[in-house]
Amino acid sequence: MNFELSDEQALLRDSVARFVSQHYSLEQRRKVLLLEPGYSPEHWRAMAELGWLAVPFAVEDGGLGGSPLDIMVIMEQFGAGLVLEPFLASILLGGAALRHGAHAAMKREWLPQVIDGSKQLAFAHGEPQARFDLQHVATHARCEGDDFVLEGTKSFVLNAASAAAFVVSARTRGGVAERDGVTLFLMERARPGVTLRSYPTVDGGRAADLTLQSVRVPRTSVIGAVHEGTSIVTAVVNDAILALAAEAVGAMHALYRDTVQYTQQRSQFGHPLADFQVLQHRMVDMFSEYQLARSLLYRATMEAAQAALDSNGGTQLDSALKAQLEGALKAQRAVHALKYLVGRAGMFIAESAVQLHGGMGMTEDLRVGHYLKRMLVIDLLFGNAEHHLQQFAGQPSQSGLAG
Amino acid sequence: MDIELSPADLQFQQEVRAFLTEHAYQPGMDEGQWRRRWFAAAAAKGGWDVPRWPRDFGGPGWTAAQHHLWDLETAAHTLPSDSPFGVTMLAPILMAYATPEQQQRFLPAIRARTVQWCQGYSEPGAGSDLAALKTRAVLSAAGTHYVVNGTKLWTSAAHLADWMFCLTRTSEGARRQQGITFLLIPMRQPGIEIKPIITLGGRHHVNMVHLTDVKVPIENRIGKEGEGWTYAKGLLQHERVGIANIARSAVALAELKRAARQLPCGSGCLLDDPSYRLRLAAVEVDLMALEFTELRSLAAISAGLPVGPESSILKLKGTEIQQRIQKLALEAAGLRGAEWGAMGVTTDAAREAFESYLIGRASTIFGGASEVQRDVIWKNVVRLPQ
Repeated sequence: MNFELSDEQALLRDSVARFVSQHYSLEQRRKVLLLEPGYSPEHWRAMAELGWLAVPFAVEDGGLGGSPLDIMVIMEQFGAGLVLEPFLASILLGGAALRHGAHAAMKREWLPQVIDGSKQLAFAHGEPQARFDLQHVATHARCEGDDFVLEGTKSFVLNAASAAAFVVSARTRGGVAERDGVTLFLMERARPGVTLRSYPTVDGGRAADLTLQSVRVPRTSVIGAVHEGTSIVTAVVNDAILALAAEAVGAMHALYRDTVQYTQQRSQFGHPLADFQVLQHRMVDMFSEYQLARSLLYRATMEAAQAALDSNGGTQLDSALKAQLEGALKAQRAVHALKYLVGRAGMFIAESAVQLHGGMGMTEDLRVGHYLKRMLVIDLLFGNAEHHLQQFAGQPSQSGLAG
Repeated sequence: MDIELSPADLQFQQEVRAFLTEHAYQPGMDEGQWRRRWFAAAAAKGGWDVPRWPRDFGGPGWTAAQHHLWDLETAAHTLPSDSPFGVTMLAPILMAYATPEQQQRFLPAIRARTVQWCQGYSEPGAGSDLAALKTRAVLSAAGTHYVVNGTKLWTSAAHLADWMFCLTRTSEGARRQQGITFLLIPMRQPGIEIKPIITLGGRHHVNMVHLTDVKVPIENRIGKEGEGWTYAKGLLQHERVGIANIARSAVALAELKRAARQLPCGSGCLLDDPSYRLRLAAVEVDLMALEFTELRSLAAISAGLPVGPESSILKLKGTEIQQRIQKLALEAAGLRGAEWGAMGVTTDAAREAFESYLIGRASTIFGGASEVQRDVIWKNVVRLPQ
């Protein structure tokens, strides 16, 4: 058991932090926000050259074989800098689906270009009626000869307009809310029948709603096994939640530091605001929530990394398989716990930061409001705090530390 | 960063389990005898009787993982009763500030649990504002002893204690924190009068202690005259880490969950109640997070690094979690627990939930009330650049 970053991780952290401090001042970010893709293509190329886009992919696929901990290190700095580039959409969602399920030829065709940044992906899974239920998929795909034909709608697809292809989930059998019967496809954006309604998002990103009308894709575009897409979706979303939580923790740290500094500089009633106990205690509560979120981020990320290591062991022993299953359940519980805590802590800290900045907190001229808008989206992506608390409470307790 | 327990850690865990099983209390045993044997056996394991003591003073020198496993395993077992005042609170002060002679004189009996201690801190006019204390200690003309006069309040276990470690005022400094002297006072002597105070749970834990012309030999002073506040501050920090009680809360939560699953509630059980289940889950999440907060601090200590700012929230959050669990247990007990009567009439679990809840209100008051904790965290951590 060890809480120190490795030397490589510390270098990675410093390198991302340097990038953020050089390119993500409020002024610089404002310019990026005005660019049409919603991010800077120049930054994206730089991130590819620095090797960050390769981190989660396997070495044999041209990646660096990084763990969830390496992603945590990157995302925390991105969170502090309110970075806009589509690392989550292309690498951690679309790219991860290929990593988990793509057949060899698909990996060969797509991953090198995803890793060098020349092509981007998007993850078209969520649907308006599903709300936070990951296995609720109404979009369907019927088999016609060697092809599948997709019909349906997908909502809030991050980075859709910049993506060369989408990872799309569609039902190939069963009822709309069944876990079984969902299949993932890699669908190029240019396919006939794909319509995008693109829009900016509240936090400065870009997303789109997709309409699929008789979109024909070949059987070779199936990711993973037919009917068994939900397990890939779950794995991708769990890792994405860890990454979002790291981003949120980076933002929480910046929010509480900015608030402490601001209240020490701003005077009212003849004193710096920070002299008032009622504000001091609010900031201590912001600090406590931030520390709890960071601790749980470490816990959930380390449990996920451990579960991933265990499942790669290739063991046949019953006892080891049982331990693996327990580890996986423990990791899943920790993800639910984390998303709940991050939503709660993130919103409390961001709202408190705006409150303590007073009128200035309501303007676009300070960072705090931008963090609040990002935190709103982080909370809602892949299920908000309340949803994940219900998931956490609803599962039978494992032999966990607190369970 | 990794969470994996090493083979050595896992072996250690097995060893702890075996020890706890071998030395578990068996019905019919004499409790005092069991307690003495238990601590002697723990000492023979190489400092297991004083897990948090440094290796130089006979502690085991465990890693963070080992401390964590020990807490985890011991929380699930019934251990012999043990007072925190000597082993946890006074001993670190003696190690840091007492003379070798004083260490020789007091530490072995603290470790052997043969001498009971109490803490003479709070006074009628000095609660959260401890520096307002007024108990006077006047050095005799010959310089051989102090004469102590004053009143200590909320003194836990004073009626059971052989000794008190006590903060006294020897002079009025420019700052109230100056002129405070740390004395060790034998409790069984003329001039010491102990009055019980019955608290909300209906039990006798705390007392008022009057000291009238109590003679304290100068060799019972720890450190320098007038420097006691510095020593006490270090002591308070030890008290704060101890009070978080994370492993204990985890056991209480698991028991509560089991009970809520068995407790009929309409046509189902209490755990089927969505509101109750969600509140229970929210406490569990916070406990999972606090558990790792403590581990982050323990890991730093084991690696010889300074403890991070995260340790400052342990007492504040640990006691809040304890109270939330106690309140959920109270809710589970329902009106059955409200049946009150003479002490010791029943050991009914519902009634115990009420007692624990009432006694537990004190945890956010003693050792620095939560409001004072927030002042201290602001002053020592949050306002500083990081």
